[in-house]
Amino acid sequence: MDTSSPSAFVNGETLKMFVGRRVRTVVQVQGFEGGMLVGQSTDGHRLTIKGAMDVPVSHFMEVCGIAESNQSIHADVCTDFGTNFDPVPFNGLCKLANDKFKHLFL
Amino acid sequence: MAAPGLTPNGVQATLAGDLNLKPVVQVLDLRSIAVNGPPGSGTRYRAVVSDGVAATSAMFATQLCDIARSGVIRRGAIVQLVDYTVNNTNGRRFVVVLNLEVLVPECEIIGNPIIPPELGVSIPNSTRVDHFNGAPRHGPAAGSTLNTMTRSSDSAPVMHRSMAGNSSNMATRPHDNASVFQPTVQPPYRPAPNYRNHGTIMKNDAPARIIPINALNPYQGRWAIKARVTAKGEIRRYNNSKGGGKVFSFDLLDSDGGEIKVTCFNALVDRFYDAVEVGKVYIVSRGSLKPAKKDYNHLNNEWEIFLESQSTIELCPDENSSIPAQRFNFTSIDKIEDAQNNAILDVIGVVTSVNPTVTVQRKNGMETQKRVITLKDMSGRSVEVTMWGEFCNREGLQLQEMVECGAFPVLAVKAGKVNDYSGKSVGTISSSKLFIDPDLPEAHSLRQWFDCGGRDASTQSISRDVTPAASRNEIRKTVAQIKDENLGLGDKPDWVTVKAAVIFLKTDSFYYTACPNVVGDRQCNKKVTKADSGNWLCDKCNQEFPECDYRYLLQLQIQDHSGTTWATAFQETAQELLGCSARELSTLKENEDPRYTEILIQCLYQDYLLRLKVKEESYGDERRVKNTVAKVERVDPVAESKFLLHGISTLTASY
Repeated sequence: MDTSSPSAFVNGETLKMFVGRRVRTVVQVQGFEGGMLVGQSTDGHRLTIKGAMDVPVSHFMEVCGIAESNQSIHADVCTDFGTNFDPVPFNGLCKLANDKFKHLFL
Repeated sequence: MAAPGLTPNGVQATLAGDLNLKPVVQVLDLRSIAVNGPPGSGTRYRAVVSDGVAATSAMFATQLCDIARSGVIRRGAIVQLVDYTVNNTNGRRFVVVLNLEVLVPECEIIGNPIIPPELGVSIPNSTRVDHFNGAPRHGPAAGSTLNTMTRSSDSAPVMHRSMAGNSSNMATRPHDNASVFQPTVQPPYRPAPNYRNHGTIMKNDAPARIIPINALNPYQGRWAIKARVTAKGEIRRYNNSKGGGKVFSFDLLDSDGGEIKVTCFNALVDRFYDAVEVGKVYIVSRGSLKPAKKDYNHLNNEWEIFLESQSTIELCPDENSSIPAQRFNFTSIDKIEDAQNNAILDVIGVVTSVNPTVTVQRKNGMETQKRVITLKDMSGRSVEVTMWGEFCNREGLQLQEMVECGAFPVLAVKAGKVNDYSGKSVGTISSSKLFIDPDLPEAHSLRQWFDCGGRDASTQSISRDVTPAASRNEIRKTVAQIKDENLGLGDKPDWVTVKAAVIFLKTDSFYYTACPNVVGDRQCNKKVTKADSGNWLCDKCNQEFPECDYRYLLQLQIQDHSGTTWATAFQETAQELLGCSARELSTLKENEDPRYTEILIQCLYQDYLLRLKVKEESYGDERRVKNTVAKVERVDPVAESKFLLHGISTLTASY
């Protein structure tokens, strides 16, 4: 397993901490704008995903890639999580992973 | 101090029967008398009271005896008779005092009362009266000597007359201006023969006063109550070490809202059972009062009445309005959730469902009827009410018909018993009463609430165990904690939830042959053995069956990060785990079907939320803690994540 560039679990809030670095997050697909996917992060922020595949609207999608700004990610890998996904635990995870338990993750 | 005037002609008028006069009289004499009466009335006090002209004997009721004994009432005291009756025995009339008020604790003898000789009061009229008429103000001095005299005479338990002895004494001391009458040397005790038949109040035939039920107490003396019968029990026969007998009870309610239970035994049952009818008003008198037995008596009174041979029950035909027909103390359904098991309470609600009657078998083998209905009230909760016996066919049937027609009647339950078997429910007992659409303010407000939207309001049942996980008070433990925390060793089993995986299933015997017989509302399920005939024999039902039921009895090992332990899963939980019935699985095993192994394997190494009942049990000489799987649930990742997040935040809150 290649651990050279670990991706941090982020949500809308914590994305800005990792600009320019590898991140992974889950967004709910809301639509497409100018060739880019618009999704809602698990904490309600509006994020733009570049290079994303076609995932139906309202599905959840995991995105792994480089954070370009505090609102956009350049995606490497996208995975369709379908509709059976609860954003609340994921959001909780992101908060814990970047705050109290950072040492467990990165 | 001016002595209040004695009521002129008070004694005569009282003896003639004026019970409302409340005469002011003076106590000329006070002595105690040993009496053979009902147990507990060993000593009675008898006074001689005068109105200045005439004197008469006055017996004190038992409740006054304490006052008499204490010395508050003494010779010379001026008292007002507040409650009294007149007794006529053997041609002699005397007063029985139930209540009096001491106006002047002591005073010189007033007037010149003529005392009937048989009373034997040694008041030397001539000497005393002359003297005191002329010298009125000897109050304090008289008081002090009187005190000493009375004290000394009080110390002797029985004061007695000693005419002969006294007169000589008195004759020699007429000049003693402090003396009222001589205490004399106390000759040995001689029970005064004249008073034998004046002894007990029981012979008093005068009508007793009606008092409120709440004022009743065993020290009351004679009492009468006027009340309506609110409940009447059945005649019950019993057998105890003293032989057998029969008993029946009924409840009374009076106009002040006081309630009391009345019981009678044996011969009195025959006398009173038919006389007493529910709903009618009676005057009950002359029963004995004993502490209430709270196990059988749910009324709000610390006493109960036991009728005796001299008790009387008189019907009052005209009473209809002052005494209510029933008295309720309703508990709202949400409060029932907090009630103790076996508590007795009243409840009122709208009937939302009526289940059919089922026959159940009791522990003693007898069969009885049972019926469950649901009541809903304004607290937003509903409760199951279980009717037993006659209620099923009587009120139960009526309720069923009403609900089937679309009417949702209001039902009031008096004296229902709380049961905490599955959530909290209310069951009827022998003294329960059901009222359909009663004419009560609570019923009317319920009706209005229900019809104006209450019917559709969401309700939560307090009678089900299936409460949402949030309000379920689950205790999460790890496998290691079961042992470390010594769970299951108390009187009651411990219920915990463990998140663990099944790692092993004992398959040599995972089922037993069970009795398929349906008894009442459940299956017998006792283990059956194969008889010679090839049929299955059940010892409990005493029957043979060609086919038996296969029920799971599965031993399994569960494991989490902390440790491993054994548990047992019965029919329902094992079927949930394995996904097929015991009979199917055993068939697969016999046929060596590969699906057998598949089924077993697929349930291994999966995380489950297992609700365990942990209890120590005896196996011969050993005591071992056993875990029984009461519920199996696949772990739901979302719920579990939230549970963990909550746990983390609780843990991290400290730093």
